[in-house]
Amino acid sequence: MQKVVTISLNGIAYQLEEPGYNQLRTYLERAESRLQDSPDRNEVMADLEQAVGEKCRAVLGPHKTVVNSAEIERIIVEMGPVESAEEKAAGATGSASADADAGAQSGGPPPRKRLFQIREGAMWMGVCNGIAAYLNVDVTWIRLAFVLLTIFSSGLWFVTYLVLMFVVPVAHTPEDRAAAFGMPFSTEELISRAKKNFEEFGDKYRWRREWRRQQRHLNRQFRHMNEQMRMATAQAQPAIHHAGRAIGMVFLPIAALISAALLVAFILALFSLVTQHTVFGWALPHGMPLWVGIVALAMLYIAISTPVRMIRHGGQQSAGYHPGWGAFHGLMWIGFVVLLFWVSYTYLPGVREVVDSLMWAANLTATTISETIV
Amino acid sequence: MDISEKLSPLRKGLLEFVILKIVAGDKVYVADMLKLLGPTEFATQEGTLYPLLSKLRREELVDYEWQESEAGPPRKYYKLTPKGRTQLSTLNDYWKNLNKTLADLGN
Repeated sequence: MQKVVTISLNGIAYQLEEPGYNQLRTYLERAESRLQDSPDRNEVMADLEQAVGEKCRAVLGPHKTVVNSAEIERIIVEMGPVESAEEKAAGATGSASADADAGAQSGGPPPRKRLFQIREGAMWMGVCNGIAAYLNVDVTWIRLAFVLLTIFSSGLWFVTYLVLMFVVPVAHTPEDRAAAFGMPFSTEELISRAKKNFEEFGDKYRWRREWRRQQRHLNRQFRHMNEQMRMATAQAQPAIHHAGRAIGMVFLPIAALISAALLVAFILALFSLVTQHTVFGWALPHGMPLWVGIVALAMLYIAISTPVRMIRHGGQQSAGYHPGWGAFHGLMWIGFVVLLFWVSYTYLPGVREVVDSLMWAANLTATTISETIV
Repeated sequence: MDISEKLSPLRKGLLEFVILKIVAGDKVYVADMLKLLGPTEFATQEGTLYPLLSKLRREELVDYEWQESEAGPPRKYYKLTPKGRTQLSTLNDYWKNLNKTLADLGN
């Protein structure tokens, strides 16, 4: 079953299958942008629409009312890339280098590479997929890096994924996807890429099973390591018990405070980066995309906070493993986080601005959602 | 560099001349022009032809008139203008000279 889109080509309605419609729209949008500087743009666009309409009509009959995607694909190939007549004349009279010629054939210079979320073949939202396409490496490495960073940051790296999920645009049209790969866009390439994606689709589930198995294995190993560490500290406990107590009383609250401050600073910096493209007055270098800034910030945070977290864990272990202690420290840490948030909200006008604008956006979203539901 | 690649700009440059020659006859519809050119070296596509025709019309070398068709909306039929006819004869002369030059060179 395919969803059908009804379109009007020069005043006559046609029904196209949705994927075909997307392709045709991309083709016509591209044609329009190529004719940007041509004084005949409107006329040529109308001519092209009529030609497409005529070709659509040729495949329709009394018992066939919908133009399917394969037919649209063929029609687009038949129409050929749209080239402005002015451009062509310049290419012919000039030195007519092979490059210029090849450029005209494939439809202009390749589009600038951009970071997109690519949902096709994604594990979840396609953030890793998009980064892999952008960096032109296998997506497995990116996923591995994300998982490892998440483990080392005890889950905080995941926040980066969530932020990227909201900040990085999703590749909807074939042209977006072409830009995500930084490849020139043409129908043939589109077809070959679609075929490849389809073949990989079958492999995906097998791959996923393998992935889960590896994760279970990793989990078992971690549990084992934890067990060993606990046994080691239990053996040494009597000797360091008293010293540990003292450390626990003085040192742990300080470490908790530092760790809380780092977290608050990180979250505020992240929000300020996303909303205002600056981090505490330090603007992103010119030409650096936002997502690079986000990833760099998260890396920095993990690099700074990991030693502190290790000290806290070590301190807790040496202070004697008492369940009450752990809970107390957790609460103390949360208290610090809340306190620091409140302090920065009250005394830093920039922070208040960001938080208020976020609240406003959240409000707006909530209102929109409730209105849509009603 | 491939030989056909070398000849491609030549063909492109000549396309305008070819189109003028086609519309010099009877009034023609774009689909018919494509059909006519299909088996020749000048095979082309709508994506190229429509922009070129619009440019020629802006230069007042060709013009079109609307004609009703039995199926679908009216179609544009292209024909040569007097100015186009003058330019075509200039181009024809130029081409003849070019041929002669090419034939004479190296003899």
